[in-house]
Amino acid sequence: MTLVEVANLVINGLVEGAVIALPALALTLVMAIARFPNAATGDVMTLGAYVAVGVQGALAGAVGGQLFALGIATVVTALACALVSLIAYQWIFRRLGRAAMVASLLASIGLGFLIRSLITLAVGTDQRTFSLPLVRAWNFGGVRLLPNDVVIAAVALVVLALVFAWLQYGRSGRLLRAVADNPDLARLSGIRSQRLMWLLWALAGALAAIGGVLLGVKSVVMPELGWEFLLPAFAAMILGGIGSPHGAVIGALLMGVGQELSVPFVGPTYKIAVAFAVLFVVLMIRPAGLFGRPELVR
Amino acid sequence: MDAYLIAVGTVVLIYALLAIGLNLQYGETGLINFGHVAFFALGAYASALLALRGWPLAVTFAVAAAVAAVAAIPLGLAALRLREDYLAIATLGFSETVRLMLQEERAITQGVQGLPAIPKLFGALGGARADLAIFVALLVAVALAAWATHLLKTSPFGRLLRAIRDNEAAVVALGKDPARYKIQVFMFGAALAGIAGAFYAHFLTFITPDQFVPLVTFYVWMSIILGGVGSVRGALAGTLLLVAFLEGSRFIRDLLPGVAEVQMASIRLAVVGLALILFMLYRPQGLFGKRGG
Amino acid sequence: MIEARNVRVEFDGFRAVDDVSLTVAAGSMVGIVGTNGAGKTTLFGAIAGQIAVARGTIAFDGHDITRIPPNRRSRLGLARTFQVPREFGRLSVMENLLASAPNDRHESLAAAWFGRGAARRADGEIGERADEVLTLVGLRPMRDQPAASLSGGQKKLLELARALMGSPKCMLLDEPFAGVNPVLMGQLLDVLCAIHARGIALVVIEHHLQALKTLVQRLIVMDQGRVIADGLPDAVLEDALVQDAYMGGVV
Repeated sequence: MTLVEVANLVINGLVEGAVIALPALALTLVMAIARFPNAATGDVMTLGAYVAVGVQGALAGAVGGQLFALGIATVVTALACALVSLIAYQWIFRRLGRAAMVASLLASIGLGFLIRSLITLAVGTDQRTFSLPLVRAWNFGGVRLLPNDVVIAAVALVVLALVFAWLQYGRSGRLLRAVADNPDLARLSGIRSQRLMWLLWALAGALAAIGGVLLGVKSVVMPELGWEFLLPAFAAMILGGIGSPHGAVIGALLMGVGQELSVPFVGPTYKIAVAFAVLFVVLMIRPAGLFGRPELVR
Repeated sequence: MDAYLIAVGTVVLIYALLAIGLNLQYGETGLINFGHVAFFALGAYASALLALRGWPLAVTFAVAAAVAAVAAIPLGLAALRLREDYLAIATLGFSETVRLMLQEERAITQGVQGLPAIPKLFGALGGARADLAIFVALLVAVALAAWATHLLKTSPFGRLLRAIRDNEAAVVALGKDPARYKIQVFMFGAALAGIAGAFYAHFLTFITPDQFVPLVTFYVWMSIILGGVGSVRGALAGTLLLVAFLEGSRFIRDLLPGVAEVQMASIRLAVVGLALILFMLYRPQGLFGKRGG
Repeated sequence: MIEARNVRVEFDGFRAVDDVSLTVAAGSMVGIVGTNGAGKTTLFGAIAGQIAVARGTIAFDGHDITRIPPNRRSRLGLARTFQVPREFGRLSVMENLLASAPNDRHESLAAAWFGRGAARRADGEIGERADEVLTLVGLRPMRDQPAASLSGGQKKLLELARALMGSPKCMLLDEPFAGVNPVLMGQLLDVLCAIHARGIALVVIEHHLQALKTLVQRLIVMDQGRVIADGLPDAVLEDALVQDAYMGGVV
């Protein structure tokens, strides 16, 4: 493999990683605070993508350029999915809070199925794409860079930066991070409040939605979109350590690059298998991940 | 009509084997196995591939069970070290990896095209009689599986499993390693799924990797939830209800004009999703289970 | 029987057990006392194997057990009970004991299907031993009741009974008298004496000094992870260091 090929793979991996970071962050926060892996996250991503496609289509011609419409569509879908996520919490997961973890897990699987099926009932199973200006890739001596990818990565990074800033400096954000970091301590000191949970679930929904849009921009929007990225997102979450926001991001970037670098060896279809392999290895060797707390593990 | 009932009955019995296996894994040892379809797939492909090479079906069925049981070992070992939610994710990843491998390793499995012309079980009897024979064989298999499960539960082994469920740390303090017991149960459950896969392959005579998607795993979960986790009777009842639903949806489609099969598939998915949510919320013990049991 | 040398247990830099060496002779009865947080239960955890040692060695009956897992230590004859009883709630008292006895050959999947007759016979033999143990601890009348229905004190007796099923040579008892009502207390003391009479070494952590004094010939005092006194109960309790550590305490 030449350096150029490696560079291309790494770039692609970083972009994918930046995108996966969004659902990974959503997963890690929910996992740390609500204590279960939210399997519906993937399908919320799909929902986010479809809503955005719809909004962008509806705005076509009425508003500024395609990108502007896409921007609005992204905001709209983030809000919409935040709402969906809130409703899911309020009606389902809040009530299952005291039940066994498997109940929430199975319910989230069911929710994912429900969302996916409602999408296909509403708009069919055809693939959709976002309308984007056609641009050619920049070429730096063989190293290809798609302007789209740059935008995608930039958006992801901006969103992540905003969320991190909130987690670091915002009053509720700091609270959220504290609870994610040490749920037992937080519970003892009574920090857990209804409002915090709403913020958590709304944020998770919004992050998943934006992640879905970015994925849809990178490839196509189809019903299995989110589900296919659920496993890599889980792997990123576990690699980074549950409850660690920056762990989720770093984990996602590593997963993205790792998956891409594996393609010359195992072929493109086995990318998910790579995610699984990483997941398995991490869980067996160091379940706490890179930045997680070992006590939370067993 | 008879032929139809036998066909449906066959599907019920295949799912019943899957359900009994999963029920054991989750009900007896608490292992959250979201990758059950992988054992189903491995059993189906193992038996089909060997049969296509001329091996006698009695042997291929046994191999199917063995392959599935062996495949369960790494997962079983992982189960010992992992918290249950991690295990759920890992098993899901496992089944997807298996499906991908079946899809990619074309040289062995013929990939997405699948394996056609698999020898039909009891094919020599011809047509309807073969179908009936398969049905009867499955009936025997399910009865045996139920009986074996009963024997397991009422043995010292079963007693220890219950002790592990009540207080695993105490079992360790008493000098016994829960790992051994959990893995054996896991392997047995997987073997049952493998046999179900073999029956499936030699009944349909055509299998593709697309038939072994996670949705199948969650159909089985739906069965054991419906019937109430932990009892074989519950698993059987739940399976009946599940297949009734799946088949019933086909009839509904015939009644409603203008509903395409694709849409029916979505509706089925929606109902399963909704059912999972509602059962977890309002009746986690299933239709027949006892609360807190 | 037990030989611990320079054992150190650390949690996140905090030394719960700091350079503890002690020897327990076969068939002896030793008490361990100390304020909460002195490291007593942690020491038990290290000896029994639930907790890993950062430094030091532990030997039992001549074997070096420092690195072997708890279930293997139990097989060597080292039993341990816990402060909070860990009964198998949904099993009956008798089943609790049946499940506690070493029964490898019949506790396998194969035996569940193909060796039922032999398993039944083994259960019969174990059952006889279990009845004997139940009589010893005074739980025989409850043998068929679900363990969850027992009182706190009775559950403690059940813990002892279960530990006895493994024919231990030495038992580590963690606060056996805690939460036991005075009526049951006498029964419990008698049971412990009876167990000791069988030649089983007992190491008992307790806060209940009165009860402990009537039981043991040797008292070890721990404070802040270290052993600060070791000897005859009366002598130890009058030691200045001990009184210091227990300032305002139960002495």
